[in-house]
Amino acid sequence: MGLLKKYGALYLMMVPVIAYFIVFAYYPLVKGLQTSFQDYKLMGDRPYVGFANYDAVLHDSLFWEAMVNTLVIGGGILLFSFIAPLVIALSLNEVLRTWFKKMAQMILYVPHLLSWVVVGGIWIFMLSPDSGIVNMILVHVFHRAPINFLADSGYARWIMILLSTWKEMGYTCILFLAGIVSINPSLYEAARMDGATRWQQLTYVTLPQLSNTMKVVFLLNTLGILRIFDQVFILRNPTIASKVDVLMMYTFQKGILEIKLGPAAAASFFVLVLTLALTLVVRRMTRFDEV
Amino acid sequence: MSDRFERLGWKNKAFDTLNGLFLLALMLTMIIPFINVLALSFSSGIASMRPEIVLWPKQFSMEGYEIVWKSLDIWRPLLNSVIVTVVGTVLHVLLSSLAGYVFIYPRLPGKRVMLTFVLITMMVPQEAIMIPLYVVNKDLHLINTLSALVLSGLVSGFSILLMRSFFLNVPYEMSESAKIDGAGEFRIFLTMYLRLAAAGLATVTLFEFVGRWNMFTAPVMFINDSMKYTLQVALKAMIIDTSSNSGTYMVTTNVRMAGIVISILPLIAVYPFVQKYFMKGILLGASKE
Repeated sequence: MGLLKKYGALYLMMVPVIAYFIVFAYYPLVKGLQTSFQDYKLMGDRPYVGFANYDAVLHDSLFWEAMVNTLVIGGGILLFSFIAPLVIALSLNEVLRTWFKKMAQMILYVPHLLSWVVVGGIWIFMLSPDSGIVNMILVHVFHRAPINFLADSGYARWIMILLSTWKEMGYTCILFLAGIVSINPSLYEAARMDGATRWQQLTYVTLPQLSNTMKVVFLLNTLGILRIFDQVFILRNPTIASKVDVLMMYTFQKGILEIKLGPAAAASFFVLVLTLALTLVVRRMTRFDEV
Repeated sequence: MSDRFERLGWKNKAFDTLNGLFLLALMLTMIIPFINVLALSFSSGIASMRPEIVLWPKQFSMEGYEIVWKSLDIWRPLLNSVIVTVVGTVLHVLLSSLAGYVFIYPRLPGKRVMLTFVLITMMVPQEAIMIPLYVVNKDLHLINTLSALVLSGLVSGFSILLMRSFFLNVPYEMSESAKIDGAGEFRIFLTMYLRLAAAGLATVTLFEFVGRWNMFTAPVMFINDSMKYTLQVALKAMIIDTSSNSGTYMVTTNVRMAGIVISILPLIAVYPFVQKYFMKGILLGASKE
């Protein structure tokens, strides 16, 4: 009782948070696992069917298509969204004029603030074959035939990867810049004393010193690749669906549109397990815990 | 930094120029689309459909905005978005701060258990429980209500940890002396911590504000009554579904672009004032995960 008297107010403060998490995080998790083993109907009996849902998902060619798309698009985003911000951060770091640096950082960050509806809407228009700027340039400057980028399955995955990189690079760049700023300046002084050029300072001081930040960014990006949804939902169309529909899209279609909740829940659990597995692998690979 | 200016060899100069041009080119890929959108939104309907590069309004007109506002009734989804964003953000910040405050007590019994309880929720991607979440909302009769959108992400481990790290900067001795003076936890929380961690409040508020304004997955899943659409969902129907193979009605480009401008206005308006909080939040957030 003494405990409650002393800390009662604090526990009371936690009550709404804990209640929320139980109802909207833990219960759905358990419920999802249960549903994945049921023949789930919105009304009536929901008999347990063992692994039948998992079996159905694993034998669904659309699932494997979604898996391949997720890995290709997610992998591409992982790679490009790592390299592009790194290059930009290094490049920004070499800029000597503070106002230019600040302005660049501010402008590059803007797309991150916008929703995928807006970013998608803008780029669908920019890439449109009859009035988009990109095709205008192709036609008038390079004298090429216009390309219907978003209806061409050859370009579809690239568009997903590049747009995601474009949207998020300013954001990730901030993480790298912060890493660069925290490097001990005496390391650069020592390097300069030894006659290191700008390039040598970059490869022998900046990059090695930045490795911890790189690990963090890589881990954060890895967690994101299986969650790609908004972007695909907005930019997809029937022509390119088979090249861009990712796992979350598959789940959405199965669960919300076709109301096959059992298989949808089973597919979600593959995503969950894959996310955890990927995280562990990346943690191990980058030896994140030793940082 | 000053000695970096001294190296003025031509190679360095050439590098600086190329480097500057590279960054400028990147910035242009961000700026041109927005200028294009803005210019088209102020063009007349016919001019906006003509295939040419538009960086300045052609046949200046407010027609796009008028149609979006009057004929397409964008004010209703706009209102829905404002309600969900404001109510959701206030509650989110309040609940996250409360929990963040609890976690600064070093010797609180059960703290480890509660912290683990919160951390686990951060490991489970929201998307992976999409289907059961839909069922939960359905069972609670929240489908097609704005409450479902307010409740979605009402609190998050991320915000809790962010608030906690701001609260940890408040000297602990201060709250101890306040306690000796007879102040209760709620009072200390409200009058001392929330005020002294104003930067933290601003950071979390802005993150949540932007996140909720842009929220898309939840409204797509939980709402199918068009009177309850939020701005993002209404925009999707307006600018994307009509752009490729329009079936029902014709929406001219200037109308679609006006919709985009209206939806990003609140974000662009607050951005310059709050940039520093964003930076701080991003950095703290990344070091937490």
